[in-house]
Amino acid sequence: MNGDFELFHVIWFPFAAAFLCYLAGKRHKMIRDRVLQFSVVLEMGLMLLAAYRYFGAGELEFIWKGFCMRGLYLKLDGFRLLYGCVAAFMWMMTGIFSREYFCHYHHRSRYYFFYLLTLGSTLGVFLSGDLYTTFIFFEIMSLASYVWVVHDEKPAAMKAGEIYLAIAVVGGLVMLMGLLLLYDTVGTLRMSELYEAVKPVMQEKGGRIYAAGLCMLFGFGAKAGMFPLHIWLPKAHPVAPAPASALLSGILTKTGVFGVLVVSAEIFRYDPQWGKLVLYLGTVTMFAGAFLAVFSVDLKRTLACSSMSQIGFILVGAGMTELLGTENALAARGTILHMINHSMIKLILFMAAGVVYMNLHALDLNEIRGFGRRKPFLKSVFLMGALSIGGIPGWSGYVSKTLLHESIVEYAAELSARTEPVLWIRGIEWIFLLTGGMTIAYMTKLFAAVFLEKHPLRQKEYDTKTAYMNKESVFALLVPAVLLVLMGFFPYGTMNCAADLAQSFLHGKTPAHAVHYFSFVNLKGAAISLTIGVLVYFGLIRRFLMGKDEKGDVCYLNLWPRWLDLEDLIYRPVFEKASAALFGYVCGLADRMYLVQIFLKVLLELSAFFCRACDHLMDAVLLAFRSTTHKSRTERHVYLIGSMFSRTLGKILDQMVRIVNYTIRRKNPIERSFVVTFAEWEEMMRRTNRLISASLSFGLMLAAIGLALTLVYLLWW
Amino acid sequence: MSSVYLILPVVLPILGGAVMPLLHLSGKKRNLFLEILVLVTSLLAVLCVLRRPQDGFILFHLTGNLDFALRLDGLGSVFVCVIAFLWPLATLYAFEYMRHEERTTSFFAFYTMTYGVTLGIAMAENLVTMYLFYELLTLVSVYLVMHPMTKKALHASRVYLYYSIGGAAFAFVALVFIIIFGGTTDFIMGGVLDMDLVGDNVTIVLIVYLLAFWGFGVKAAVIPFQGWLPQASVAPTPVTALLHAVAVVKSGAFAVMRLTYYCFGAELIRGTWAHFAVMSIVMASILYGSTMAVKETHFKRRLAFSTVSNLSYVLLGVTMMSPQGLLAGMCHLVIHAFMKIGAFFCAGAVLHQSQKTYVDELNGLGRRMPYVFTVFVICGLSLIGIPGFAGFISKWNIAAAAMELGNDYPYAYGAVAVLLYSALMTAVYILTVAVRAWFPDKGSAEAKMKEIRDPNWEMKLPLGIFAAFVLMWGVYSEPLLRLLRAVAQGVF
Repeated sequence: MNGDFELFHVIWFPFAAAFLCYLAGKRHKMIRDRVLQFSVVLEMGLMLLAAYRYFGAGELEFIWKGFCMRGLYLKLDGFRLLYGCVAAFMWMMTGIFSREYFCHYHHRSRYYFFYLLTLGSTLGVFLSGDLYTTFIFFEIMSLASYVWVVHDEKPAAMKAGEIYLAIAVVGGLVMLMGLLLLYDTVGTLRMSELYEAVKPVMQEKGGRIYAAGLCMLFGFGAKAGMFPLHIWLPKAHPVAPAPASALLSGILTKTGVFGVLVVSAEIFRYDPQWGKLVLYLGTVTMFAGAFLAVFSVDLKRTLACSSMSQIGFILVGAGMTELLGTENALAARGTILHMINHSMIKLILFMAAGVVYMNLHALDLNEIRGFGRRKPFLKSVFLMGALSIGGIPGWSGYVSKTLLHESIVEYAAELSARTEPVLWIRGIEWIFLLTGGMTIAYMTKLFAAVFLEKHPLRQKEYDTKTAYMNKESVFALLVPAVLLVLMGFFPYGTMNCAADLAQSFLHGKTPAHAVHYFSFVNLKGAAISLTIGVLVYFGLIRRFLMGKDEKGDVCYLNLWPRWLDLEDLIYRPVFEKASAALFGYVCGLADRMYLVQIFLKVLLELSAFFCRACDHLMDAVLLAFRSTTHKSRTERHVYLIGSMFSRTLGKILDQMVRIVNYTIRRKNPIERSFVVTFAEWEEMMRRTNRLISASLSFGLMLAAIGLALTLVYLLWW
Repeated sequence: MSSVYLILPVVLPILGGAVMPLLHLSGKKRNLFLEILVLVTSLLAVLCVLRRPQDGFILFHLTGNLDFALRLDGLGSVFVCVIAFLWPLATLYAFEYMRHEERTTSFFAFYTMTYGVTLGIAMAENLVTMYLFYELLTLVSVYLVMHPMTKKALHASRVYLYYSIGGAAFAFVALVFIIIFGGTTDFIMGGVLDMDLVGDNVTIVLIVYLLAFWGFGVKAAVIPFQGWLPQASVAPTPVTALLHAVAVVKSGAFAVMRLTYYCFGAELIRGTWAHFAVMSIVMASILYGSTMAVKETHFKRRLAFSTVSNLSYVLLGVTMMSPQGLLAGMCHLVIHAFMKIGAFFCAGAVLHQSQKTYVDELNGLGRRMPYVFTVFVICGLSLIGIPGFAGFISKWNIAAAAMELGNDYPYAYGAVAVLLYSALMTAVYILTVAVRAWFPDKGSAEAKMKEIRDPNWEMKLPLGIFAAFVLMWGVYSEPLLRLLRAVAQGVF
């Protein structure tokens, strides 16, 4: 850790204050609110302290080696100083305003916690001196500000938060890839070294550098609300609480712009191709935003679309800065001044919208119309913002828009001097003027609706509301409005100084001749825009975008077709349906097929087959032997029955019967075998003999015979 | 320090765990006994690392020149430290978690024995010893999966057993080839293969490497052997958290590191077809794991799928086949251990306190359990790789290693794209949980959850420590990286 600690204090303090504020919230709400206001004021003081050091000692640096691995590198030069101050100022004003705005909200401690975290990380982005540091704070900022968007926890807020988070995460990841690619190619991420590092390898590895640049443009552009990544912006900004919307619109988008400027000015310095890319994207963003804003019937949504459009203006400036090469002073100064203007303007306008919401809890133009009548303070503050953003001469927006317009004109002149086609740049100039006109038109629409027209039913109720904001809020609205007026009326003393201070960031040099903002040529551009604005307002808005409701009262119509929404039309189907289905299906298939199970099953089947085959092999061999070599003999079993005598006799008789059968009794052969018959007879005889010999009568008979023989012997011998 | 002492941290928990059921200790006494046992083991292990003996200790000769020996080198020390740090905390958590379970004595017996075996893997001096411990690990940890004794648990444990044993068989093939072509199985940075002996058989060696990669990779859940891990999440949370996010699965990744850098040698494999094959396997696993995690609505299984993809991050680093890659792999091995065990313990705490297991039941739970869900958000953001959290450091290193390799082999740029996709999916599956918990839709049943609150200190303490480490390394990781760099270059 070494360097100028003033810078470090600016960064760590909000993080510490966030925890402090949260803890204070557990104690008492009053203390917490005061802690918060005190913190943001102190933060402004710290920033001014750093600024004081800058004017004394020149550029400040702070290095913390090893922070998040690759180290933290903070730097304070003119532009960073300016934007650091703008950021701190905006936080201070919204912080002061928040106390009244949030008094009926829940979960305020949570909100303040993330509010201060975002402050620290946003300042981290603006003070970062290398892209790695930028990225770290950028990610923290993206995630912490998510909590703002969903603070209401209503379905609309949740849905907007979803898309906000998605874009933030995707943007961050793509940016990370860009950083890796860049780091791998050139070996450094420090902004001041990038240009020198890129130059020698541009020839050889131009493709990789462009790829890295595009990735980073994607990431930063997503946060800036650049077309076609703007989809989150008109949704997320309106649903957040008003002070948060002011910051989201006014300053968080600028972090994206900051990144785009760094990439443009340090990596692709004076690269016309890159400049053209940014210019085209900026032009589309500018026009699309204004177009959406004209159709919108919601106060904050209109302001959000307007933010997108103004970011487009800034991107046009960024593109022109690179296209004009070394003669880019006008574009560089215009870009920077428009950033500052837009931040201040949106601060005022969103806080004014917050005042409306705080009282009515509605933002639909049909419901809030007439609220601003008989409220001169609110009306005049809002008017300052509206005039300024519309680019009316005398207000600050006019100065920056004039510079941007001049730069386009200058480039067109340069092209025609080189006899190259100028039609496209003329086209862009006209789109520029047209968008300026549309800006005037939609701001008129808002102003007329809220402050001039009458509400058909509730006008009386609105008119009686005199105590619609407290002193703190008045202060928070008044200070930026006064600043804005000062800047607009004294551009040479204020805005030129700011531009001188900051232009070196974009490598712009003070122009050879001073620009006369109120010269005829410059006023002409404003006049054209004003005319277009009047035409659009009366020709389009009053004629087609307003109609009569069922009761016959005039009202604003929401004619924007529902289906025409890039998010629902393209992004969600592509990401949720197509890619999720594809990857999910493939992996699901992999899961369901049970690769291993299949493998195992096949293996088991195969091995089982082999085993069974082996098993049966031995049997088969044995069988084979048994049926061939070891075949058992086929002799007939002869069962001998009967005695020798009867058998012989029977056989003789059988042979005789056979002869007889062959000869005499051919038709009626004798079937019986005499062997069997004799054997049966013999058996019967033997059994009979046994029976006889065993019987008593047989014994008696033998005894009688014996007696008879004895008698014969006695008689004759 | 004499190398004899290396044996203590390995044997102590194994013996202690085995003896513990015989002592018939009652609840609190048993817990005290175990905690002291585990703590002493951890202290001994850390002491061994701090005063590292240079030579190994041979327990006994198996046969020929195969020894059963222990030794601590750089890589082993890193792994030992991670385990020694996490185990006592996880044991503490387990006491509270298992309070209402049955059969706790046998559970803790095996739980403690697993500790010793895991340390054995980390301290093994050669492939044979590691192989033996690796098999042993399967056997002692299978009971832990089985412990709920439900039909599902039994099935899961059987699957786990088959996969692991089957994988070890593959690894055994490598063991034989290493002995044939290397002569020794000792771990030496840069590999032990003798190119004279290998001769023309490079293709065979590569095939064997691929087999062994799969074999040891089974425990690290690489495709197509990932199936056991999500199923095993039926086990009690301390097991799924410690074993299936750290000890067992990291043993697999650790074994692959040993195999790649200390047996075969990264130089041999770099640029060959086997190199691209293993890289493809790993990338497919990352894609698979992170996509399935998005599809899964069961909280713990979702984290298990997340583990599948994160383990493959580690292996992706390893397969870069360069010191930078090994550094990245080790870095993610260490950091993922902390953040995933933290996330798992959060899921376990939710389950324990509210019996909720599915993601769509978590609406508004963050309000009821702020401590647990704050830790979960920290660990989750770290898993996504948001800068300022530890996970970013390791992912950056992996991507940087891939970029470096990409200069020579453009195929490696694919790894960066895979990381990008996976980080996106991680964001989806983590943030959906976080958003649900903290920002419920209006009117969700908050009244029903009045009873639910944060768990007691035994659960909170480990969670707090994990979150603190994740944040600390996120902000300042230089000492860790310096150590790992030294290990990766083979000088530590």
